[in-house]
Amino acid sequence: MSSGVSRQRVEQCFRLAALQDPRANLEEAEKWARAVRERAARQQQLRDGVLLSELSRPCRMMLLVNPQSGKGQALILYNNHIQRMFNEAGIIHTLVITERQNHARELVKEADLSQWDALVIMSGDGLLYEVINGLLERPDWEEAIRTPLGILPGGSGNALAASVHHYSGASPVSSEELLVSCGFLLCKGLVSRMDLVSIHLSSSPRLFSFLSLAWGFVADVDIESEKYRHVGAARFTVGTLVRLASLRVYKGRLAYLPATKDHNNQQGLRNNMTVHCNNQASSLTPPPVLCRPSRDSSCHNTFHNSCHSNNSLKVRRSESTPSRSATKAPSGPPDSLLVPLDQPLPANWVVVPEEDFVLMLAMYQSHLAEDLLAAPDAVSDDGVIHLFYVRAGISRTALLRLFLAMEKGAHLATNCQHLVHTKVRALRLEPYSPKGIITVDGEVVEYGPLQAEVHRGLSRLITG
Amino acid sequence: MGTTASQLDKDLLSEYQELTFLTKQEILLAHKRFSELLSKDERNFENTRVSMERILTLPELKSNPFRERICHVFSTSDQKNGSLTFEDFLDLLSAFSDSATLEIKSHYAFRIFDFDDDGTLDCGDLEKLVNCLTGETDDTRLTTDEMRQLINNILEESDIDKDGTVNLSEFQHVISRSPDFVSSFKIVL
Repeated sequence: MSSGVSRQRVEQCFRLAALQDPRANLEEAEKWARAVRERAARQQQLRDGVLLSELSRPCRMMLLVNPQSGKGQALILYNNHIQRMFNEAGIIHTLVITERQNHARELVKEADLSQWDALVIMSGDGLLYEVINGLLERPDWEEAIRTPLGILPGGSGNALAASVHHYSGASPVSSEELLVSCGFLLCKGLVSRMDLVSIHLSSSPRLFSFLSLAWGFVADVDIESEKYRHVGAARFTVGTLVRLASLRVYKGRLAYLPATKDHNNQQGLRNNMTVHCNNQASSLTPPPVLCRPSRDSSCHNTFHNSCHSNNSLKVRRSESTPSRSATKAPSGPPDSLLVPLDQPLPANWVVVPEEDFVLMLAMYQSHLAEDLLAAPDAVSDDGVIHLFYVRAGISRTALLRLFLAMEKGAHLATNCQHLVHTKVRALRLEPYSPKGIITVDGEVVEYGPLQAEVHRGLSRLITG
Repeated sequence: MGTTASQLDKDLLSEYQELTFLTKQEILLAHKRFSELLSKDERNFENTRVSMERILTLPELKSNPFRERICHVFSTSDQKNGSLTFEDFLDLLSAFSDSATLEIKSHYAFRIFDFDDDGTLDCGDLEKLVNCLTGETDDTRLTTDEMRQLINNILEESDIDKDGTVNLSEFQHVISRSPDFVSSFKIVL
């Protein structure tokens, strides 16, 4: 894959000698330095007319590094690129080396978050997954999940880093150039919101996902690729070819709640949530528009009463009955769009007629992998799950073409008859085959029926 | 059947069982299926060689994208025409059996994909490999650009010493990480 334009470090030296006293000169120079830093940040505060918030300065960052990640190069990359960049940008950072799986998750659950302005992960997507779920498991999850999160590619799964780079409008780069770009964006310190998707499995506790949900062909290749620890980009190819040789069909039932034009509308969503809820309730707008995890629970119920069809009563009732998750201290936002897995779907959901699939992929960021632009028009906080599925019957060539085209995000333009793309707010998948693989953010989860709902802008991401 | 020449000698059966990954039952079944490919006269001779054409009528091989290469690799014919004796056939089934080790499978996979038999997988081999997967006719094949992109990706993932080709150990290294490889590299009668 050819590299696009990449960031380089260029040193400009300015000398100040206006005054006689060197100390006065130094003060003046420091004033200039501060002014330059502030100007640099202020440049991009308005993007698409939306005000982005900023990290407080000076910024105290916890930098979580998995030394094993990717080619085992994370620490070296930090030393070569990141350390100096952060020091020059005035970012006070503390390096935390993770020692095992779930170490980050536990750390974040217990941490005193008032000490940190941002949590940055330098590893693959797996470490951020731990951090997000750790934050949402805290009793103070509502505050905790507002902690700005940052990502630096250091592992084998760098999809979010590639997405962040993509959102900045730059042309695609990989490996160290991607690292430099993401480091730079972190230093700029502008914070956007990031959608999170809550996922219910048959018996595991609810989990939160920030990147993707996959079943079928992609999930299988995902798992195999994770084993290619020595690889950088292009990790799908050999696995894909092996899978292609024995292309199979995955049987199951897929259904979703389509996203309407209403909530693609940015207006009102950055404002006070209570205001938003009240507006909707009074205008009685069907179908249900996202009601964010509301602090005001009465608003939540009122909204349901007025806007839903008959099925809403069933939804509300079942939410009030004690569920499995209610037995432990509940944390995290309620899922207003989902009925329990064993109950029939609400009337406004769409059921996919086919039951034979090659793959199902739900994306909420733009990149599935460093070099796979799966959802080119995704934004980190569009409140939408980009659902893709490929129906059975596709030829090997066509499938191969799709993956090749996906490198540039051109797969939707291939006019493949078997590929379907739709924007949804929630989905339910019931696989029929007894064995199989489902991945969330590239990691295997319990196989079986599942449901997912998007929570718009639930977390904060430093996007520069 | 019924004529003794078409039944397998007991000692031979035990010998085959020791030399291959196949069970006695699998060997007997293989013998039956192989005999069905022979004409009545041919059945009386030992070590009859069956043409590749006839071998490929077997349903288990007919739709395998690499069927011709498979026959070539296991053929002991002097003419290099892909024809198989019964013992060649057993070797084939053994390598593709459930019990064959990953090392054996990846070793044979490498030989099968080495279309020019030069001991390494270069761009030409990789291109033929992909074409086998994508199909016979022009409209099902990848374009030149797509092919180039794909081969670059393959080499980026597999070519560790960056010499532009994939040698046996690089191949085994990358292919054996794929748990699905073992199940796709299987032929069971």
